[in-house]
Amino acid sequence: MSTSQTDPPNTGKSGIPTWVKILVPVIATGGLAVTGVLVAITVFVVTAWFGLPLPVFGFDEPPEQPIAFPHTVHAGTDVLLDVNGVARVGGDGQELHGLGLDCTFCHRTVTTSAQAGVPAVQLCSFCHRVVGAESNVQFEQLRGAGLEPFVGAINWQRVHRLPDSVRFVHDPHIRFLTDNPGVIGNADSSITGLSSAQPAQVCSTCHGSIATMEKVKQVEPLKMGQCVNCHRDNEAPVDCSTCHF
Amino acid sequence: MVTQQDSPYNWGMVVDVDRCTGCQACVIACQAENNVPLNTENLYKEQRTYSWIRVERYWEGEFPDVKARFIPIMCQHCGNAPCEPVCPVFATYHNNEGLNVQVYNRCVGTRYCAIGCPYNVRFFNYWEPVWPEALRNQLNPDVTIRSRGIMEKCSFCIQRIRRAERVARRDDRLVADGEIQTACTQACPTNALTFGNLKDPDSKVSRMSKDRRAYKLLDEKIGTDPNVIYLARVEEKAEAVHG
Repeated sequence: MSTSQTDPPNTGKSGIPTWVKILVPVIATGGLAVTGVLVAITVFVVTAWFGLPLPVFGFDEPPEQPIAFPHTVHAGTDVLLDVNGVARVGGDGQELHGLGLDCTFCHRTVTTSAQAGVPAVQLCSFCHRVVGAESNVQFEQLRGAGLEPFVGAINWQRVHRLPDSVRFVHDPHIRFLTDNPGVIGNADSSITGLSSAQPAQVCSTCHGSIATMEKVKQVEPLKMGQCVNCHRDNEAPVDCSTCHF
Repeated sequence: MVTQQDSPYNWGMVVDVDRCTGCQACVIACQAENNVPLNTENLYKEQRTYSWIRVERYWEGEFPDVKARFIPIMCQHCGNAPCEPVCPVFATYHNNEGLNVQVYNRCVGTRYCAIGCPYNVRFFNYWEPVWPEALRNQLNPDVTIRSRGIMEKCSFCIQRIRRAERVARRDDRLVADGEIQTACTQACPTNALTFGNLKDPDSKVSRMSKDRRAYKLLDEKIGTDPNVIYLARVEEKAEAVHG
């Protein structure tokens, strides 16, 4: 009697096949791994939804441009460094500094129209017909493009891209921020070393300090919340059809 | 949600039906300006054509004495719009300039507004819009291309309104009368369409809207209070009763 009563549970315990014993921890580990991956993806999507994507898998990398145009040289005023981090020295033995060109020197339509505009190759070749190393392949390409108009435009990669449903117009924003330097969020005179609202400072509100970037990348998330907050703070219209039409 | 007290503008249009010859120039101009998808034969068969402005044709009289009558119909930008309260996501609403605005990126495509609209001027994108390769570069960069699944309609060429307002604000003045032309008014060879600010009593549209011929489509019956005013046709045999 006693054996017949204890036998069924005994057979139940010892009857678990070996492959199940192996499979259960494998499934458990696999499940954890899958959950982990899903959580990671969710975290990435949610953070990218509210701001810039997390700096993983090269998502924070600036796009490769067809010509490695350094804003540090043209717009910056700091000492120029070479690839080894050593200050570059000019022919006269002095340290080379950035040119400190005004943003609007090249992005000429920014104060008058919707697009900031990228200059024609002609504007580059005004200087680079003479300036710049002879041996540099990109200068040669630029000179070729500048002198033969039909070889023409450089296929720049766009860095700051808004959704298609947004009509952003540069010129009223530039005008407002130039007139009201106090409202520039990151009013940091170190950008240009100047106290009043210089174009570089105005532009840095949304584009960051481009003048210090070797390769331009997006530093502000440029989400709608950012637009709306600034519009609210400065009594600009927040009607949907201000930007969406 | 009519909050027009803030703005000095209340955009409106006057359509002189007497001048309309039914040439369809406005339809083409609108299509080109606003990136309206091309209407193909199949779309006509399915009665799903897009035309933000259309010219309706009526025949009057019996054969040999038959006359064609035309009336251009676009979004009436109703002050009391039947399309607005039915939108569950607030994608269509009335802004403070008297415009009935469609926010494309908010629209989820319920199509309630098209059912609500008594003028049949709302168009749903059943398909992704396609243009032939040759027409890709003619698309207007100032206007969003509406993708599949959202509603679209006449915007009174809001991109042109915004541009004019921007220029006016830069010069610290108000938009002058006649400064804004919508694509249809610009294209109309007989000046049957006039666009302007109804809030300005001296504007051309305000003066025209006080004409004795003025009427609003369906306004008396359903009280939509449109911002588009029609001027009735003058009969040839009628006596001179111009206001």
